[in-house]
Amino acid sequence: MASQNIDPMLPTMQNKEKKVNATRRKDGHSVTMRLQRELMNVMMSGSTEVSAFPEGDNIFKWIGTVKGPKGTVYEGLSFKLTLEFPADYPFSAPTIKFKTPCFHPNVDEQGNICLDILKEKWSAIHSVSSILVSLQSLLGEPNNDSPLNPLAADTWNNQAKFKELVHEFLKKNSKNKSS
Amino acid sequence: MAENPDNPIDEEIERSTGMTRDEAILAQQDRIQKEVEDTNPLVSERLPLVVLKEEYQADPVYSKKIEDMYASFPYIRKTRGDGNCFFRAFGFAYMEKLLTDKAELHRFKETIEKSKDTLIALGFPSFTLMDFYDTFMEVVNQIEEKPSLSELLATFCDQGMSDYLVVYLRLLTSAELQKEADFYQNFFEGNRTVKEFCSQEVEPMYKESDHIHIIALTSSLGVGVRVVYLDRGENQRANHHDFPEGMPPQIVLLYRPGHYDILYGE
Repeated sequence: MASQNIDPMLPTMQNKEKKVNATRRKDGHSVTMRLQRELMNVMMSGSTEVSAFPEGDNIFKWIGTVKGPKGTVYEGLSFKLTLEFPADYPFSAPTIKFKTPCFHPNVDEQGNICLDILKEKWSAIHSVSSILVSLQSLLGEPNNDSPLNPLAADTWNNQAKFKELVHEFLKKNSKNKSS
Repeated sequence: MAENPDNPIDEEIERSTGMTRDEAILAQQDRIQKEVEDTNPLVSERLPLVVLKEEYQADPVYSKKIEDMYASFPYIRKTRGDGNCFFRAFGFAYMEKLLTDKAELHRFKETIEKSKDTLIALGFPSFTLMDFYDTFMEVVNQIEEKPSLSELLATFCDQGMSDYLVVYLRLLTSAELQKEADFYQNFFEGNRTVKEFCSQEVEPMYKESDHIHIIALTSSLGVGVRVVYLDRGENQRANHHDFPEGMPPQIVLLYRPGHYDILYGE
Protein backbone atom coordinates (compact mmCIF):
# COMPACT_ATOMS: atom_id res chain seq x y z
CA MET A 1 0.00 0.00 0.00
CA ALA A 2 1.37 3.47 -0.79
CA SER A 3 1.86 5.75 2.16
CA GLN A 4 -0.13 8.66 0.83
CA ASN A 5 -0.27 10.57 4.06
CA ILE A 6 3.45 11.00 4.41
CA ASP A 7 4.88 14.22 3.11
CA PRO A 8 8.05 13.27 1.21
CA MET A 9 9.56 16.58 2.25
CA LEU A 10 9.38 15.66 5.92
CA PRO A 11 12.66 16.03 7.77
CA THR A 12 14.46 12.70 7.94
CA MET A 13 15.13 12.81 11.66
CA GLN A 14 14.98 9.30 13.05
CA ASN A 15 12.47 10.16 15.75
CA LYS A 16 10.12 11.99 13.49
CA GLU A 17 10.18 9.21 10.93
CA LYS A 18 9.33 6.71 13.58
CA LYS A 19 6.40 8.72 14.76
CA VAL A 20 4.95 9.06 11.26
CA ASN A 21 5.37 5.35 10.74
CA ALA A 22 3.59 4.51 13.95
CA THR A 23 0.66 6.77 13.14
CA ARG A 24 0.29 5.34 9.69
CA ARG A 25 0.19 1.85 11.09
CA LYS A 26 -2.37 2.72 13.63
CA ASP A 27 -4.57 4.34 11.02
CA GLY A 28 -4.19 1.54 8.54
CA HIS A 29 -5.19 -1.13 11.01
CA SER A 30 -7.56 0.67 13.31
CA VAL A 31 -11.09 -0.49 13.97
CA THR A 32 -12.45 2.54 12.16
CA MET A 33 -10.55 1.72 8.98
CA ARG A 34 -11.69 -1.86 9.01
CA LEU A 35 -15.32 -0.79 9.52
CA GLN A 36 -15.07 1.71 6.68
CA ARG A 37 -13.75 -1.03 4.41
CA GLU A 38 -16.61 -3.26 5.51
CA LEU A 39 -19.14 -0.55 4.79
CA MET A 40 -17.69 -0.17 1.30
CA ASN A 41 -17.83 -3.94 0.85
CA VAL A 42 -21.49 -4.15 1.89
CA MET A 43 -22.47 -1.25 -0.36
CA MET A 44 -20.52 -2.52 -3.37
CA SER A 45 -21.95 -6.02 -3.10
CA GLY A 46 -25.20 -4.77 -4.63
CA SER A 47 -27.13 -7.38 -2.65
CA THR A 48 -30.89 -6.91 -2.48
CA GLU A 49 -31.17 -9.60 0.20
CA VAL A 50 -29.09 -8.01 2.97
CA SER A 51 -27.85 -4.49 3.69
CA ALA A 52 -26.33 -2.47 6.52
CA PHE A 53 -25.40 1.12 7.29
CA PRO A 54 -24.08 3.07 10.28
CA GLU A 55 -26.74 4.62 12.47
CA GLY A 56 -25.98 8.32 12.49
CA ASP A 57 -22.37 9.45 12.87
CA ASN A 58 -21.23 6.56 14.99
CA ILE A 59 -19.35 3.98 12.90
CA PHE A 60 -19.51 1.54 15.84
CA LYS A 61 -23.31 1.20 15.62
CA TRP A 62 -25.04 -0.01 12.48
CA ILE A 63 -28.55 -0.93 11.41
CA GLY A 64 -28.79 -3.99 9.19
CA THR A 65 -31.62 -5.43 7.13
CA VAL A 66 -32.13 -9.06 6.19
CA LYS A 67 -34.94 -10.21 3.91
CA GLY A 68 -36.83 -13.37 4.78
CA PRO A 69 -35.43 -16.04 2.44
CA LYS A 70 -37.63 -17.10 -0.48
CA GLY A 71 -39.44 -20.39 -0.06
CA THR A 72 -39.42 -20.12 3.76
CA VAL A 73 -42.07 -19.02 6.25
CA TYR A 74 -40.31 -15.65 6.41
CA GLU A 75 -40.68 -14.89 2.68
CA GLY A 76 -41.98 -11.37 2.08
CA LEU A 77 -40.85 -10.10 5.49
CA SER A 78 -37.89 -7.87 6.17
CA PHE A 79 -35.99 -7.83 9.47
CA LYS A 80 -34.04 -4.96 10.94
CA LEU A 81 -31.06 -5.67 13.18
CA THR A 82 -28.77 -3.62 15.39
CA LEU A 83 -25.04 -4.22 15.12
CA GLU A 84 -22.64 -2.94 17.78
CA PHE A 85 -18.89 -3.28 17.30
CA PRO A 86 -16.49 -3.64 20.26
CA ALA A 87 -13.31 -1.58 20.53
CA ASP A 88 -11.19 -4.63 19.63
CA TYR A 89 -13.20 -5.53 16.53
CA PRO A 90 -12.55 -7.64 14.43
CA PHE A 91 -10.75 -9.70 17.10
CA SER A 92 -13.98 -9.88 19.11
CA ALA A 93 -17.45 -10.37 17.65
CA PRO A 94 -20.01 -7.60 17.21
CA THR A 95 -23.22 -7.74 19.28
CA ILE A 96 -26.14 -8.29 16.96
CA LYS A 97 -29.84 -8.24 17.84
CA PHE A 98 -33.09 -8.37 15.95
CA LYS A 99 -34.83 -5.01 16.12
CA THR A 100 -37.86 -6.29 14.22
CA PRO A 101 -39.65 -8.90 16.38
CA CYS A 102 -38.62 -12.30 15.06
CA PHE A 103 -40.31 -15.57 16.03
CA HIS A 104 -37.50 -18.06 15.53
CA PRO A 105 -36.03 -20.99 17.51
CA ASN A 106 -32.65 -19.24 17.93
CA VAL A 107 -33.92 -15.73 18.73
CA ASP A 108 -35.34 -14.73 22.12
CA GLU A 109 -38.05 -12.16 22.93
CA GLN A 110 -35.47 -9.38 23.30
CA GLY A 111 -34.05 -10.12 19.88
CA ASN A 112 -30.86 -11.80 21.16
CA ILE A 113 -29.48 -14.32 18.71
CA CYS A 114 -27.82 -17.67 19.35
CA LEU A 115 -25.45 -18.29 16.46
CA ASP A 116 -22.06 -19.99 16.85
CA ILE A 117 -20.10 -17.65 14.59
CA LEU A 118 -21.19 -14.73 16.80
CA LYS A 119 -20.01 -16.58 19.90
CA GLU A 120 -17.36 -19.30 20.27
CA LYS A 121 -16.69 -19.57 16.54
CA TRP A 122 -16.13 -15.89 15.95
CA SER A 123 -12.92 -15.06 14.08
CA ALA A 124 -11.53 -11.94 12.46
CA ILE A 125 -12.09 -13.48 9.04
CA HIS A 126 -15.85 -12.94 9.33
CA SER A 127 -17.33 -9.65 8.23
CA VAL A 128 -20.61 -7.74 8.35
CA SER A 129 -21.64 -9.07 4.96
CA SER A 130 -20.76 -12.69 5.80
CA ILE A 131 -22.63 -12.42 9.13
CA LEU A 132 -25.74 -11.03 7.47
CA VAL A 133 -25.71 -13.85 4.92
CA SER A 134 -25.34 -16.38 7.75
CA LEU A 135 -28.24 -14.77 9.61
CA GLN A 136 -30.40 -15.01 6.52
CA SER A 137 -29.56 -18.72 6.24
CA LEU A 138 -30.30 -19.16 9.94
CA LEU A 139 -33.86 -17.92 9.34
CA GLY A 140 -34.56 -20.79 6.96
CA GLU A 141 -32.40 -23.39 8.73
CA PRO A 142 -32.74 -23.02 12.51
CA ASN A 143 -30.77 -25.06 14.99
CA ASN A 144 -33.61 -26.69 16.91
CA ASP A 145 -31.35 -28.56 19.34
CA SER A 146 -30.53 -25.63 21.60
CA PRO A 147 -33.41 -23.19 21.20
CA LEU A 148 -33.75 -19.76 22.82
CA ASN A 149 -37.44 -19.91 21.92
CA PRO A 150 -38.67 -23.45 22.78
CA LEU A 151 -42.19 -22.84 21.39
CA ALA A 152 -40.71 -21.91 18.02
CA ALA A 153 -38.48 -24.99 18.04
CA ASP A 154 -41.44 -27.25 18.89
CA THR A 155 -43.64 -25.73 16.20
CA TRP A 156 -41.00 -25.75 13.42
CA ASN A 157 -42.19 -29.06 11.97
CA ASN A 158 -45.68 -27.63 11.45
CA GLN A 159 -44.76 -24.94 8.94
CA ALA A 160 -48.32 -23.62 8.39
CA LYS A 161 -48.81 -23.10 12.10
CA PHE A 162 -45.29 -21.68 12.40
CA LYS A 163 -45.99 -19.07 9.75
CA GLU A 164 -49.11 -17.96 11.63
CA LEU A 165 -47.07 -17.57 14.80
CA VAL A 166 -44.41 -15.57 12.98
CA HIS A 167 -46.99 -13.02 11.88
CA GLU A 168 -48.79 -13.04 15.22
CA PHE A 169 -45.50 -12.44 17.07
CA LEU A 170 -44.57 -9.62 14.75
CA LYS A 171 -47.95 -7.94 15.14
CA LYS A 172 -48.14 -8.33 18.91
CA ASN A 173 -44.60 -7.18 19.65
CA SER A 174 -44.57 -4.32 17.17
CA LYS A 175 -47.72 -2.98 18.83
CA ASN A 176 -46.15 -3.26 22.28
CA LYS A 177 -43.10 -1.40 21.13
CA SER A 178 -44.91 1.60 19.69
CA SER A 179 -47.32 2.02 22.64
CA MET B 1 -15.93 -8.80 53.19
CA ALA B 2 -19.27 -7.68 54.59
CA GLU B 3 -21.87 -6.35 52.21
CA ASN B 4 -23.37 -3.85 54.58
CA PRO B 5 -24.93 -0.71 53.13
CA ASP B 6 -23.97 1.23 56.25
CA ASN B 7 -20.44 -0.09 56.11
CA PRO B 8 -18.10 2.78 57.01
CA ILE B 9 -15.58 1.46 54.45
CA ASP B 10 -18.15 1.81 51.67
CA GLU B 11 -18.88 5.36 52.78
CA GLU B 12 -15.19 6.11 52.90
CA ILE B 13 -14.73 4.73 49.35
CA GLU B 14 -17.61 6.79 48.10
CA ARG B 15 -16.34 9.95 49.76
CA SER B 16 -12.80 9.59 48.49
CA THR B 17 -13.48 8.29 44.96
CA GLY B 18 -16.99 9.49 44.21
CA MET B 19 -17.81 5.90 43.23
CA THR B 20 -19.80 3.13 44.85
CA ARG B 21 -17.78 0.18 46.06
CA ASP B 22 -18.61 -1.97 43.00
CA GLU B 23 -17.65 0.81 40.66
CA ALA B 24 -14.43 1.37 42.57
CA ILE B 25 -13.61 -2.36 42.31
CA LEU B 26 -14.26 -2.38 38.58
CA ALA B 27 -12.14 0.72 38.12
CA GLN B 28 -9.35 -0.92 40.04
CA GLN B 29 -9.58 -4.09 37.93
CA ASP B 30 -9.31 -1.91 34.83
CA ARG B 31 -6.23 -0.25 36.29
CA ILE B 32 -4.64 -3.63 37.02
CA GLN B 33 -5.41 -4.83 33.51
CA LYS B 34 -3.88 -1.65 32.14
CA GLU B 35 -0.82 -2.14 34.32
CA VAL B 36 -0.38 -5.69 33.00
CA GLU B 37 -0.51 -4.30 29.48
CA ASP B 38 1.93 -1.51 30.31
CA THR B 39 4.46 -3.67 32.13
CA ASN B 40 4.18 -6.73 29.85
CA PRO B 41 4.69 -5.70 26.26
CA LEU B 42 3.32 -8.08 23.60
CA VAL B 43 6.95 -9.02 22.91
CA SER B 44 9.73 -7.96 25.31
CA GLU B 45 13.35 -6.99 24.74
CA ARG B 46 15.92 -9.80 24.89
CA LEU B 47 16.60 -10.37 28.59
CA PRO B 48 19.12 -12.48 30.51
CA LEU B 49 17.54 -15.79 31.55
CA VAL B 50 18.05 -14.92 35.19
CA VAL B 51 14.85 -12.82 35.01
CA LEU B 52 12.98 -16.09 34.65
CA LYS B 53 14.53 -17.52 37.78
CA GLU B 54 13.46 -14.43 39.70
CA GLU B 55 9.85 -15.43 39.03
CA TYR B 56 10.42 -18.76 40.80
CA GLN B 57 12.54 -17.72 43.76
CA ALA B 58 10.65 -19.81 46.28
CA ASP B 59 10.50 -22.81 43.99
CA PRO B 60 13.51 -25.16 44.15
CA VAL B 61 12.35 -27.42 41.28
CA TYR B 62 11.96 -24.62 38.76
CA SER B 63 15.00 -22.71 40.04
CA LYS B 64 17.26 -25.72 39.56
CA LYS B 65 15.97 -26.44 36.06
CA ILE B 66 16.35 -22.81 35.01
CA GLU B 67 19.92 -22.69 36.33
CA ASP B 68 20.72 -25.75 34.26
CA MET B 69 19.49 -23.91 31.19
CA TYR B 70 21.81 -20.88 31.60
CA ALA B 71 24.62 -22.44 29.61
CA SER B 72 22.51 -23.49 26.60
CA PHE B 73 20.07 -20.55 26.61
CA PRO B 74 21.47 -17.42 28.21
CA TYR B 75 18.68 -15.16 26.91
CA ILE B 76 14.89 -15.05 26.80
CA ARG B 77 12.31 -12.82 25.14
CA LYS B 78 8.96 -12.86 26.88
CA THR B 79 5.55 -12.60 25.26
CA ARG B 80 2.31 -11.45 26.85
CA GLY B 81 0.06 -14.28 28.02
CA ASP B 82 -3.11 -13.53 26.11
CA GLY B 83 -3.80 -16.89 24.46
CA ASN B 84 -1.94 -15.82 21.31
CA CYS B 85 1.52 -16.29 22.80
CA PHE B 86 2.55 -19.28 20.69
CA PHE B 87 1.73 -17.49 17.44
CA ARG B 88 3.33 -14.26 18.58
CA ALA B 89 6.46 -15.99 19.88
CA PHE B 90 6.81 -18.10 16.75
CA GLY B 91 6.14 -15.14 14.44
CA PHE B 92 8.64 -12.87 16.12
CA ALA B 93 11.42 -15.42 16.61
CA TYR B 94 11.21 -16.59 13.01
CA MET B 95 11.02 -13.12 11.49
CA GLU B 96 13.92 -12.03 13.67
CA LYS B 97 15.88 -14.86 12.08
CA LEU B 98 14.82 -13.68 8.62
CA LEU B 99 16.49 -10.32 9.30
CA THR B 100 19.86 -11.99 8.73
CA ASP B 101 18.98 -14.91 6.44
CA LYS B 102 18.26 -13.72 2.90
CA ALA B 103 17.89 -17.19 1.40
CA GLU B 104 15.36 -18.26 4.00
CA LEU B 105 13.51 -14.96 3.60
CA HIS B 106 13.22 -15.59 -0.12
CA ARG B 107 11.85 -19.08 0.46
CA PHE B 108 9.42 -17.81 3.09
CA LYS B 109 8.12 -15.05 0.83
CA GLU B 110 7.30 -17.57 -1.88
CA THR B 111 5.56 -19.83 0.64
CA ILE B 112 3.39 -16.96 1.88
CA GLU B 113 2.54 -15.83 -1.65
CA LYS B 114 1.29 -19.33 -2.45
CA SER B 115 -0.59 -19.61 0.85
CA LYS B 116 -3.06 -16.92 -0.17
CA ASP B 117 -4.35 -19.05 -3.07
CA THR B 118 -4.60 -22.11 -0.84
CA LEU B 119 -6.68 -20.15 1.66
CA ILE B 120 -8.99 -18.81 -1.02
CA ALA B 121 -9.36 -22.29 -2.53
CA LEU B 122 -10.39 -23.57 0.92
CA GLY B 123 -13.22 -21.05 0.96
CA PHE B 124 -11.89 -18.28 3.19
CA PRO B 125 -13.58 -15.01 2.16
CA SER B 126 -11.09 -13.05 0.08
CA PHE B 127 -12.37 -9.64 1.23
CA THR B 128 -11.18 -10.08 4.83
CA LEU B 129 -8.41 -12.54 3.98
CA MET B 130 -6.62 -10.06 1.72
CA ASP B 131 -6.57 -7.51 4.51
CA PHE B 132 -4.57 -9.89 6.70
CA TYR B 133 -2.44 -11.17 3.83
CA ASP B 134 -1.49 -7.64 2.72
CA THR B 135 -0.46 -6.65 6.22
CA PHE B 136 1.57 -9.83 6.64
CA MET B 137 3.34 -9.25 3.34
CA GLU B 138 3.92 -5.60 4.21
CA VAL B 139 5.90 -6.74 7.25
CA VAL B 140 7.82 -9.39 5.24
CA ASN B 141 8.68 -6.77 2.60
CA GLN B 142 9.79 -4.38 5.30
CA ILE B 143 12.23 -7.04 6.54
CA GLU B 144 13.58 -7.41 3.00
CA GLU B 145 13.94 -3.70 2.31
CA LYS B 146 15.14 -2.53 5.67
CA PRO B 147 16.05 -5.32 8.07
CA SER B 148 15.81 -3.62 11.44
CA LEU B 149 15.32 -5.45 14.72
CA SER B 150 13.94 -2.37 16.47
CA GLU B 151 11.38 -1.85 13.68
CA LEU B 152 10.34 -5.50 13.87
CA LEU B 153 9.96 -5.27 17.64
CA ALA B 154 7.91 -2.07 17.27
CA THR B 155 5.67 -3.83 14.75
CA PHE B 156 5.07 -6.77 17.09
CA CYS B 157 4.38 -4.46 20.03
CA ASP B 158 1.82 -2.40 18.10
CA GLN B 159 -1.40 -4.17 19.07
CA GLY B 160 -3.15 -3.54 15.77
CA MET B 161 -0.29 -4.73 13.57
CA SER B 162 0.69 -7.57 15.87
CA ASP B 163 -2.82 -9.00 16.03
CA TYR B 164 -3.10 -8.87 12.23
CA LEU B 165 0.03 -11.04 12.02
CA VAL B 166 -1.37 -13.45 14.60
CA VAL B 167 -4.60 -13.81 12.61
CA TYR B 168 -2.71 -14.70 9.43
CA LEU B 169 -0.65 -17.33 11.27
CA ARG B 170 -3.88 -18.75 12.68
CA LEU B 171 -5.36 -18.92 9.18
CA LEU B 172 -2.25 -20.71 7.86
CA THR B 173 -2.59 -23.23 10.68
CA SER B 174 -6.26 -23.78 9.92
CA ALA B 175 -5.54 -24.19 6.20
CA GLU B 176 -2.90 -26.85 6.85
CA LEU B 177 -5.22 -28.78 9.15
CA GLN B 178 -8.02 -28.70 6.58
CA LYS B 179 -5.76 -29.56 3.65
CA GLU B 180 -4.38 -32.59 5.48
CA ALA B 181 -7.64 -33.38 7.27
CA ASP B 182 -7.29 -37.15 6.71
CA PHE B 183 -4.07 -37.14 8.72
CA TYR B 184 -5.05 -34.68 11.47
CA GLN B 185 -8.44 -36.33 11.98
CA ASN B 186 -6.53 -39.08 13.83
CA PHE B 187 -5.70 -36.65 16.63
CA PHE B 188 -9.32 -36.07 17.59
CA GLU B 189 -11.44 -38.24 19.79
CA GLY B 190 -15.13 -38.64 19.16
CA ASN B 191 -16.98 -36.95 16.33
CA ARG B 192 -15.20 -33.64 16.24
CA THR B 193 -14.29 -32.82 12.64
CA VAL B 194 -11.15 -30.94 11.62
CA LYS B 195 -13.35 -28.13 10.32
CA GLU B 196 -15.13 -27.84 13.69
CA PHE B 197 -11.81 -27.81 15.49
CA CYS B 198 -10.47 -25.07 13.24
CA SER B 199 -13.45 -22.80 13.70
CA GLN B 200 -13.46 -23.32 17.48
CA GLU B 201 -9.82 -23.65 18.49
CA VAL B 202 -7.64 -22.26 15.72
CA GLU B 203 -9.24 -19.33 13.90
CA PRO B 204 -10.64 -17.40 16.93
CA MET B 205 -8.19 -15.04 18.65
CA TYR B 206 -7.05 -15.66 22.23
CA LYS B 207 -7.52 -19.46 21.90
CA GLU B 208 -4.44 -21.24 23.25
CA SER B 209 -2.31 -23.49 21.09
CA ASP B 210 -1.81 -27.19 21.54
CA HIS B 211 0.70 -29.56 19.93
CA ILE B 212 -1.56 -29.97 16.94
CA HIS B 213 -1.47 -26.21 16.19
CA ILE B 214 2.33 -26.29 16.37
CA ILE B 215 2.66 -29.36 14.16
CA ALA B 216 0.32 -27.85 11.56
CA LEU B 217 1.92 -24.40 11.42
CA THR B 218 5.53 -25.61 11.36
CA SER B 219 4.73 -28.24 8.69
CA SER B 220 2.82 -25.74 6.59
CA LEU B 221 5.71 -23.25 6.57
CA GLY B 222 8.54 -25.78 6.61
CA VAL B 223 10.05 -24.08 9.66
CA GLY B 224 11.54 -26.29 12.37
CA VAL B 225 10.90 -25.27 15.98
CA ARG B 226 12.40 -26.69 19.16
CA VAL B 227 10.16 -26.43 22.22
CA VAL B 228 11.89 -26.67 25.60
CA TYR B 229 9.53 -27.78 28.37
CA LEU B 230 9.87 -26.32 31.82
CA ASP B 231 7.54 -28.08 34.23
CA ARG B 232 7.40 -29.80 37.58
CA GLY B 233 8.21 -33.19 36.05
CA GLU B 234 10.50 -35.73 37.73
CA ASN B 235 13.37 -35.39 35.30
CA GLN B 236 16.27 -33.24 36.42
CA ARG B 237 16.61 -31.24 33.23
CA ALA B 238 14.09 -29.54 30.98
CA ASN B 239 12.99 -31.80 28.09
CA HIS B 240 12.64 -30.64 24.55
CA HIS B 241 10.80 -31.69 21.42
CA ASP B 242 11.25 -30.67 17.78
CA PHE B 243 8.37 -29.77 15.45
CA PRO B 244 7.75 -31.04 12.87
CA GLU B 245 9.46 -34.28 13.85
CA GLY B 246 12.92 -34.64 12.31
CA MET B 247 13.27 -31.11 10.94
CA PRO B 248 16.32 -29.18 12.21
CA PRO B 249 15.05 -26.36 14.44
CA GLN B 250 15.55 -22.76 13.33
CA ILE B 251 14.13 -21.23 16.51
CA VAL B 252 13.68 -22.27 20.13
CA LEU B 253 10.60 -21.59 22.25
CA LEU B 254 10.21 -22.12 25.98
CA TYR B 255 7.00 -23.74 27.20
CA ARG B 256 5.77 -23.37 30.73
CA PRO B 257 2.30 -24.80 31.39
CA GLY B 258 -0.02 -22.51 29.45
CA HIS B 259 2.61 -20.18 28.02
CA TYR B 260 5.28 -19.77 25.32
CA ASP B 261 8.32 -17.45 25.31
CA ILE B 262 11.39 -17.27 23.04
CA LEU B 263 14.82 -18.66 23.99
CA TYR B 264 18.21 -17.69 22.55
CA GLY B 265 21.30 -19.83 22.34
CA GLU B 266 23.83 -17.04 22.12
